[in-house]
Amino acid sequence: MTDKIISYIKTEISMEPVDDIDLEEDLLGNGIVDSLGMMQLVVFLEKEFKVKIAPEDMTVENFNTVSSISEYLSTKLN
Amino acid sequence: MIYNLAQLMERTAGRFPEKEAFTCLNDSISYAELDRKANQLASCLIQNGLEKGDRVGIFMNRCLDTAVAVYGVLKSGGAFVAIDPFLPLNRILLIMKDCGIEQLLTTPSQSKKIKVISDAAPFLISIIGLSDEQDTKTVSWPSVFSRSLEKFVSPRILEDDLASILYTSGSTGTPKGIMHSHHNILALARLEAELHDSDEQDRIGNFAPLHFDQSLFGYFSGPLVGATTVIFPDSYVKLPASLSALVAKEKITLWFSVPLLLIQVLVHGAIEKQDFSALRWVRFGGEVFPVKQLRALMLKWPHVKFINSYGPSELFRCTYYVLDEPPKTDDPIPLGTVWGNTEYKILDANDREVERGESGELVVRTTTLMIGYWNDTERTENAFYRIAKAAGYDHIYYRTGDLVQENAKKELFFLGRKDRQIKLRGYRIELDEIEAVLLKNDAVKEAAVVIVQKDSNNRSLEAVVKLEELTEYTTDDLIRFCKNGLPPYSVPQKIAILTDFPRTATGKIDRKQIIKSLETPT
Repeated sequence: MTDKIISYIKTEISMEPVDDIDLEEDLLGNGIVDSLGMMQLVVFLEKEFKVKIAPEDMTVENFNTVSSISEYLSTKLN
Repeated sequence: MIYNLAQLMERTAGRFPEKEAFTCLNDSISYAELDRKANQLASCLIQNGLEKGDRVGIFMNRCLDTAVAVYGVLKSGGAFVAIDPFLPLNRILLIMKDCGIEQLLTTPSQSKKIKVISDAAPFLISIIGLSDEQDTKTVSWPSVFSRSLEKFVSPRILEDDLASILYTSGSTGTPKGIMHSHHNILALARLEAELHDSDEQDRIGNFAPLHFDQSLFGYFSGPLVGATTVIFPDSYVKLPASLSALVAKEKITLWFSVPLLLIQVLVHGAIEKQDFSALRWVRFGGEVFPVKQLRALMLKWPHVKFINSYGPSELFRCTYYVLDEPPKTDDPIPLGTVWGNTEYKILDANDREVERGESGELVVRTTTLMIGYWNDTERTENAFYRIAKAAGYDHIYYRTGDLVQENAKKELFFLGRKDRQIKLRGYRIELDEIEAVLLKNDAVKEAAVVIVQKDSNNRSLEAVVKLEELTEYTTDDLIRFCKNGLPPYSVPQKIAILTDFPRTATGKIDRKQIIKSLETPT
């Protein structure tokens, strides 16, 4: 799951060329993803993992790192 | 009497020493501590060789260290230059070289980028703010804050001394440095405090990064009255649900941002679930707020007063319009009337004043008018409109480039731009600059950059190019090329390669036709 998320961020939304994304890297604070990119990422996650992400779930706790995104998705999928 | 920004901080530190000056998530700093740390940073900068008027770069994300950095530079007699950490390396170097930055302030989270900058910028003599001291050039924050202030003498700072250079896009492809004095920023802080009748009870939501002039409200007008400024980190500004929860939790009383942030909170912020009863004023500016969404937000926050505020970075702000109730019609919201210490004229293409009610370019004379563009007398003179009152005595107005119209109540309305500068998501973008950057690529023969209106809520920045023959360049290559030379918000969302452009009768690129074809779904 984390591989899929990382590869999507790298190829589709990263604002500058990135070599690698750490699981704990601050995606928004380090400028890897901006607010438009975040919306795009949510659409991708909803399609790819067949989940519905409510706006109130889009929080720093759930979305600031690749590992927090995958943790959040795991709870949704179970 | 206070006339510079160092005194502003000293006076408030004397009046409210223990009060929280700035806070950011779980960190905060009192006025007394901020004043002391700023003095320690100033003494460090001076020991490193800073002389009055020298430019010091601030390379930081939104965090508490920014407050110490700003006031430390000002107290040293230097001028701060906020550099957007999301800019590509080329652009960062261009800015540092343009204004001769020798000392750079940063924060441990930027250490990866600082390493790259440090290698590419041999002219830097010191980098302050990393967690460890890697070489002779670097100084850590703990070592700054352990300095003794016994021998520190603050320099004499006049109100006309340079306080800051703010870089913005220039149409030729090189950024322009807007110079502001201590007087300019102090005058802005006072006008903003008067606008909101703010005092030490207020808590200001600071959403803008330091390189965007909206942040001056939190960094200066807040400290002027002893208020607390809450710095919102990047991740909160980008996630509306977290943003609205934090605004409620921090009991923000004064909000100033671009409309986009308010729209995101309205649409995705789940605002019914939060308590915003502390909020007194919402001020927005930077671009047009679509009336339907403004009305929807005002209906949700009936206890809040809303203000539209307008002005280019060259003079910060000059007009305001207070909305007492949600707009009844969908007519555009006026820019409003000018605030204190400010006057204006509306000029036609020949610099003659238009008749009442006719449209023309807005020129503004005000207490917050910039000194000029750094090291660029030609651009500075072109930006000024002078009325000679006597030999050697001119009234100087700034040419905003904005076309406006005045109604019977003397309220100004925004009609459009004289040139090809646009506002997108609050960012000031020069379409000509993006074309200039694309044309620097040897493979590009011609380029046109336009704004495409896909639907009422969706404007996108797009480019079409004509390539030299026998090149294998792809659109991905071109996007990458743009990312290396432009700020992230100026990079076209799409680039299309055409074999030829639509032309006008005189052979010029027909941009209207290009926009039409891009807006038509294929």
